[in-house]
Amino acid sequence: MELIEKNTEKCIIIGIKGRLDTINYSILEKRLMELLDQNVTKIMVNCSQMDYVSSSGLRILLMALKRITMVKGKFVLCSLQENIREIFEISGFTSIFEIYPNEEDALNAF
Amino acid sequence: MAYYIHFKDPNSEEMVRYLSSVPTCPGTCFFMDINRSTDMKYLGGLTDWGRKLNNTFNFLSLLNDFPENIVKGIGDEIMLFIPDDVLKSKPAINSYYLLLEEIYATLYNIRHYPVVDTFLDCKVAIHYCTEVYNITYFEGANDYYGSDVDLTARLMTKGIESRIVLSEKFLMKVHADLAALGLPDNSGCLGRLSGSFLENFKGVPVSTMYRVIDVE
Repeated sequence: MELIEKNTEKCIIIGIKGRLDTINYSILEKRLMELLDQNVTKIMVNCSQMDYVSSSGLRILLMALKRITMVKGKFVLCSLQENIREIFEISGFTSIFEIYPNEEDALNAF
Repeated sequence: MAYYIHFKDPNSEEMVRYLSSVPTCPGTCFFMDINRSTDMKYLGGLTDWGRKLNNTFNFLSLLNDFPENIVKGIGDEIMLFIPDDVLKSKPAINSYYLLLEEIYATLYNIRHYPVVDTFLDCKVAIHYCTEVYNITYFEGANDYYGSDVDLTARLMTKGIESRIVLSEKFLMKVHADLAALGLPDNSGCLGRLSGSFLENFKGVPVSTMYRVIDVE
């Protein structure tokens, strides 16, 4: 898995490329926690190139959402592939995350 | 496919020969139990507890990754058995360590899901089995029998909600995976591993060492 990071005026965008699985979830965890520790409170995760997510990956997204919500920040997701969307639906994550069809729509939410 | 045991003569020599030829089937056995679901059935109707059971069973990702390894469901408890050759053949979750991490993450996600009354907390027991046989006494059914399967069920008696009870034997397999990956023994959820407990479980002639991991 590779993280591709972009700074915009509205938020930090983290693109996930590849598989967010049980072996590598700690890479995303480490980066998100660094940003949160630096008081970054506006983050978008672009999932357009993420082709697999395990429960461990979902756990990191949930942890980040909880921490950002506590400080009244904003944590959104965009561009979920169909197989990933299905996992999000089954796990109820579509009800708790703000999810946008593309990066442009997600940026407009900030 | 399970070995089908069905002989009409109780003293059949053929049965003895057949049983002697059945190989062991080493693998990981899980029991997963959904908490409070019995109480709930007295408090609410099917639309309430049926919905929560549906959501929770869906959430148990292991069921999605290993649907063919669900041996049986008894009420709100599920038994999974994942033979070693099946585990090694999986593209994603293909080691004991990854199995443990996945089940931990699943229990965490259920516990921390922010909308109440959507899911139910679970407890899990895990044991690595060597004394186990893929046999059935019922035509067309799949099942696993052996003293190690019984021990997994006994470990469940030490479970409480959002807890994983794991045998020392399973933990050794996890540690071997970590060593192969060059990772420390306290990686991931193992940072929350308890000290060891020793228990004399009913029907088990020797003491069993086990640990627990309570989800944060």
